[in-house]
Amino acid sequence: MKSVNKTIVTLLLLAVFGVAAYFSMYQTGRQPEQTGSALGGLAGKLTGAVQVQELDGFITVEVEQYFQDARVQKVLLDNGFKLNVKRIGSRDMAARVVAGQTPDFFYTSGVVAANQITDAAKRANITSAVYSPIYTPLVIASWTPIAQILSANAMAKEVGGGVWHVDLAKLTQTMLDKKRWKDLKSSQAYDVSKTVLVSTTDVRKSNSAAMYLALTSYAVNGAEIVTDKDSAQKAALKVAGLFKRQGYQENYVNGNFDDYISIGIGKTPMAFIYESQMVSYAAAKKGMGPGMVLMYPQPTLFNKVQFVATSERSKKLGELLANHAELQHLAVEFGFRIAESAYFVQSAKAANLTVEEHMTQVIDPPSFEIMAEMIDVIAREMGQ
Amino acid sequence: MNTPTAARCGYRFPSQRGIAGRTNRLGAIVLAVILGTGCSEKPAEAPAKAPAATFTVLATSDLKDTLPLEEMVLKATGVALQFKFGGTMESTEAVQTGQANADAAWFANAKYLLSDPQGQARVKLQEKIMLSPVVVGVSESQAKVLGWDKPEVASKVTWNVIAKAAQAGQLKYALSNPATSNQGFMSLMGVVASAAQKSEALTASDVDRAAISGFIKGYKLVGDNSTYLSEKFIEQQNTRVNAFINYESWLLSLNQSGKLKEKLTLIYPHEGVATADYPLMLLNEAKREAYQKVVAYLKGDAAQTWLAKTTLRRPINMEVAKAQTGLFPQGSMLVELPFSTDRALADGLIGAYLNEFRTPIASTFVLDVSGSMNQNGRRQQLVESLQYIAGDDASLTGRIARLTSREKVWMLPFSDQAYPAVHFQLPAPPRQSTGKGLADQSDSLAKQKVLTEVREFADGLRMTGGTALYDAVLQALTNMNAERQKYPDYQYSVVAFTDGEVNKGRNLAAFKEAYAALPEDVRAIPVFMVLFGEANESELKQLVGVTGGRVFDARKASLYSVFKDIRAFQ
Repeated sequence: MKSVNKTIVTLLLLAVFGVAAYFSMYQTGRQPEQTGSALGGLAGKLTGAVQVQELDGFITVEVEQYFQDARVQKVLLDNGFKLNVKRIGSRDMAARVVAGQTPDFFYTSGVVAANQITDAAKRANITSAVYSPIYTPLVIASWTPIAQILSANAMAKEVGGGVWHVDLAKLTQTMLDKKRWKDLKSSQAYDVSKTVLVSTTDVRKSNSAAMYLALTSYAVNGAEIVTDKDSAQKAALKVAGLFKRQGYQENYVNGNFDDYISIGIGKTPMAFIYESQMVSYAAAKKGMGPGMVLMYPQPTLFNKVQFVATSERSKKLGELLANHAELQHLAVEFGFRIAESAYFVQSAKAANLTVEEHMTQVIDPPSFEIMAEMIDVIAREMGQ
Repeated sequence: MNTPTAARCGYRFPSQRGIAGRTNRLGAIVLAVILGTGCSEKPAEAPAKAPAATFTVLATSDLKDTLPLEEMVLKATGVALQFKFGGTMESTEAVQTGQANADAAWFANAKYLLSDPQGQARVKLQEKIMLSPVVVGVSESQAKVLGWDKPEVASKVTWNVIAKAAQAGQLKYALSNPATSNQGFMSLMGVVASAAQKSEALTASDVDRAAISGFIKGYKLVGDNSTYLSEKFIEQQNTRVNAFINYESWLLSLNQSGKLKEKLTLIYPHEGVATADYPLMLLNEAKREAYQKVVAYLKGDAAQTWLAKTTLRRPINMEVAKAQTGLFPQGSMLVELPFSTDRALADGLIGAYLNEFRTPIASTFVLDVSGSMNQNGRRQQLVESLQYIAGDDASLTGRIARLTSREKVWMLPFSDQAYPAVHFQLPAPPRQSTGKGLADQSDSLAKQKVLTEVREFADGLRMTGGTALYDAVLQALTNMNAERQKYPDYQYSVVAFTDGEVNKGRNLAAFKEAYAALPEDVRAIPVFMVLFGEANESELKQLVGVTGGRVFDARKASLYSVFKDIRAFQ
């Protein structure tokens, strides 16, 4: 009975895609040799082959490997999609929304970039639709001795199974006070004269650093999400030093995590990263490296990896990415969380990694305008 | 302007834009001559003519030991990787100004490039390939004298301690030029941070000038690339120098080579390690696919293992790193020095190094004014080059080529015979207190006056007669050596230009004989020989083999770009 149902659904989907494919080709005239092949489409449906349409999109580096995966490509193809994707920086995507030259979709690193794109699309009279197929919380990748020092100074605690919580307000205050590691209690294991700082990528370029700004601005704004321009200015000025004092920051997403992994504690005692980076690292290596710990800021926020459809036919792709079980499960292999959280937790366990299953202390980032305002302030401060 | 030619000439001419910008003063003919002569000789090197499958990489010269990758990459990926090498600053400038003319760039450290928006915009993708920290290698016996042979002492040696040892005369080191190389520059930054007792948010006002000048007191062997410095270090270890500041990879390789008089003890400056991370950067969007293939191969097990074993750089691939830990010293935790993005600090430090801190240059320019110099615009090239170094080129490389404050120059023209040398001396900058902060290094009126005199001298050069090169070089060396006895606190060298066979005065054999009769001290004065035209390359190589120094080939590159190279060796 079940399999019969499934077959019907599949046929239905195929029919829908077949028609959609026909119309989109007819409309855009991209594949003129196939236009008018309604019969061909029908034949395809009858033989079980789906008519394939090619979609062009710009994607963020976080999902690059996902789209390179042969299994992902096969599922997409089975569902009628062949994708030509090109990786570019999320913040550079909005500039690619140009009437007549806009690709079918953008897969951005997060809300900020997605908002920029939908804004640009509105201005160019292009309808767009946003999907959030996958997400990941922001975490701090650190080291056992560091976690222990933070713990001795009441900034962090182990909540079991190798999962750590770090008190965002207290940590932010310690950093703003320019405390040096060797000034902290019980810091023999890391008694260096560097000040306590979390390293990030370049906030002017990268989404994860913008998320760090969202969090630290919350901390200095009296544990409130910044909602007005005045507070945005004030909060950003307060936390600017946390970015500026880092000196050179990597301006590509993996740069910071690469340093954490390959150079280690001497350069990067704490790295602000996506949980997905650590999960996919652990999945590939069957566990984290020696001494590595994962700390969840209290509170933290989720980064929604957002898919922006800028053509009619790519909306179906957005829905597919968000709802197709296999495509969702495959995303977990690259470290992302999906709506089906049990599946994620189970697969992290298989990678010898304990993650926090139910995250309760999660805030929303400020609005797009407020974020832009704060990033501007930081950029100005860093330029000085 | 002659764009097709310029495009074909490639990265050897990072200053073309600068030159083109000032044609009002210099005349467009000169430009055409420099460009024309610069690239016509070796069209085979021009990437534009190379087959489509090639993937050209502009790499910093410290990566020369990775040359076998060309073949390995081709075999593994089908991509015809093709290296061309340049100095750090020269290459940075080339990428920044869009003149790299390469599909990718591979630098030991690209932070200087990438902290600049213009530089950032050139880089489409980047991946770190391997790691090597800048460390101080000290002759074992000297390490013992300093107590640095004991690990617990060595692990606490800061850049400030290193600077003090240099000031006290206990550390005499080889280092590539801080104005042109990453190792040199990061060493200075290490001293700045360590003396200021902070590593974050350093600014120009944090610079402790006494600490820098103390550190520079120990800077005895100058050069611009690791191959040259390694050769010289092997020759001069424990006579003129007892330490070598360079990437760990080069020092480990030297220790393994068996060529040293004694091994080097490696000191990883406490809380001041600057690790080169060798990002491979895609510049040409059209070669994205080739780039990704190359990166995947370079980060894979085979290439990473080869790089670790053969070049002794630390793998970025953690599995390989784990498998090869035995190759690298496992000491205490290496605390990294953050890279300051403050341009005023970086540029100010380089300017101060050149004009205030460094041992001032004293050199004789031996200038061929024989009749053949009138051909093919050679005279023009020579005159223009001299005018450039006495000019105001403020580009990254131009400021290195410029005559610096306190510098002494003798211009010694020769044709049928060597003529009397004309002496110029650049004044010192206004007296600075030895406190903190960087001083303004803009030209004083007195300095401008001397620069004008140098330009006028160059303009007055007339070419006629034969080529008595060896007599002239001998005279220059004799003069430099005599000066050196009187004023030992200068960095002496001879720079000689010639375009033809020696047909007057001594021949090479007679020169060698006369050189052997000079006082032993003369050997500390290198001869940098620039050849163009019909100069006899093998003889000139023999000459520098005797005197020390290097041959520079201006047949393949513009004379001015060769000048810039030489300046980095002085």
